[in-house]
Parts: sequence; C-alpha cells; structure tokens
Amino acid sequence: MTTEINVEEQQQMVGEFLEGLAQSFGVTAKAENVAADEDSFEVNLAGNDKELGLLIGPKGNHLVAIHEVSKTMLQRRLPGLNRARIRVDVGGYRSRRREALAAYVQELAQKVIESGVEKGLEPMNAADRKVVHDAVNEIPGVNTISVGDEPRRRVVLVVADD
Amino acid sequence: MTEQEGTTAEEVLLYLIAQLVEHPDQVELEIEESDTKLSLMAKVSSEDIGRVIGKRGRVANSIRTLVRAAAVKDGVDVEVDFSD
Repeated sequence: MTTEINVEEQQQMVGEFLEGLAQSFGVTAKAENVAADEDSFEVNLAGNDKELGLLIGPKGNHLVAIHEVSKTMLQRRLPGLNRARIRVDVGGYRSRRREALAAYVQELAQKVIESGVEKGLEPMNAADRKVVHDAVNEIPGVNTISVGDEPRRRVVLVVADD
Repeated sequence: MTEQEGTTAEEVLLYLIAQLVEHPDQVELEIEESDTKLSLMAKVSSEDIGRVIGKRGRVANSIRTLVRAAAVKDGVDVEVDFSD
C-alpha cells in the first residue's frame, strides 16, 4: 500500500507554516484555503494589508522566497510522498496580478484577431504563462504557443488556423 | 516600550530553520551586532546543511531574502551565513 497524504492535510501544514512565519515577523495573519484539486492547492495569508506588504516585497520578491521555503518545508515533512503542487499568496497579491494579467492578454488577443498579426509577450515563469494560455484560449479565433527556453520562455498569441 | 528578546531578523531565521531541519535541537545561532549591522551565523547538523542551502543555494537565498525583510523592522542591515 502506498502512503498517501491528501491535499487537505498538506494545505493545512502549509497554512500553519505560513501563520507561524507571519508571527515570527510580528505580523498577525490567518491562512485561508483558496483552492484545491487532486494534485495542487493554494493558500493565501490574509490580514492587515499594510503589515502584509513586508511579506510580499518589491515585485513580489519576498512572496517568491516564501513559496520556496514552503515547498522545502513540505519536502522535509513528506519525503518521498506524492506532494501536491503548492501556490502561496499573501494578501491576495498573486490573485490580483493574475486577474490583471488575464485582462491585459485578453485585450491583446482582440488586437491579434483584428489585425491578423501575431503578438509575442515578454518572458514569464510557468505559472504566469498558464494564466496567459487559459485566458487567451477562452477566446475563439486566437491561439497561444510557447517559444524559447527557460528562463526566457514566452508566450506568443497567434491567429487561429480554423 | 520594552525591547524584545531577539530581533525580528533572529526570530524569522530561527523559525525558518526550525521548520526546515530534521534536527532542530542541533541548531545554534551566533550573533554579532553593531549599531547598524547584524551578522547571523546559523549552525545546523551536517545532515541538515544541504536542506538549508538547497540546490544552487536557492533555499539559503530565500531565507536570506526573508531575514533581510525582517531586519527592516529592526532598522539594521543583516548578513546571514550557514554552516554545519
């Protein structure tokens, strides 16, 4: 029998880890379970926006670091097990950015359809590229492709063939 | 206002290390402090050093980023090193 640990338990562990981290910063915050499916989940640390800024950092740098240590913490606690992919957010920063990015590329998609000219985006990480693919592919008449190698892999919006 | 036991930087560093290592009882922190600068040297067991540093130093750099963020609250610059 394989030892499985469910996504909810992992989400709980990351939530407690994040609340403890906030506390060590002297920040009162509460972990919220934002989303979960069979192999991934998202936890958001909610609290006073002014205080949480320190945990987000310039361009979300501190948040990236929090994501990295959260992943490492889970690897130590659950070595060799099927771990879910985790997404960490603070004060809804990532979700606001995701919405803004989705809105921007949907506007760009309209321009691609009108002009018939493809449009390349700047290099993005895999998570942001997924936001772009999902947002653009909702729109008929335009497709997305990824080109280039990490860390400069980027999405191009192209006119759909059909 | 009474002064805290440790600086925010120390609190954050100790918390992160304790969460990441197998042997939290073997964690030691050496602190050097001047008016504007804080040097923190974290010693962990040789079994844990790889975990704290991570591939290409990714975990160590993430810890440094967060400890530096915490040091903003303390009003000092901080330097963080790791050893076993």
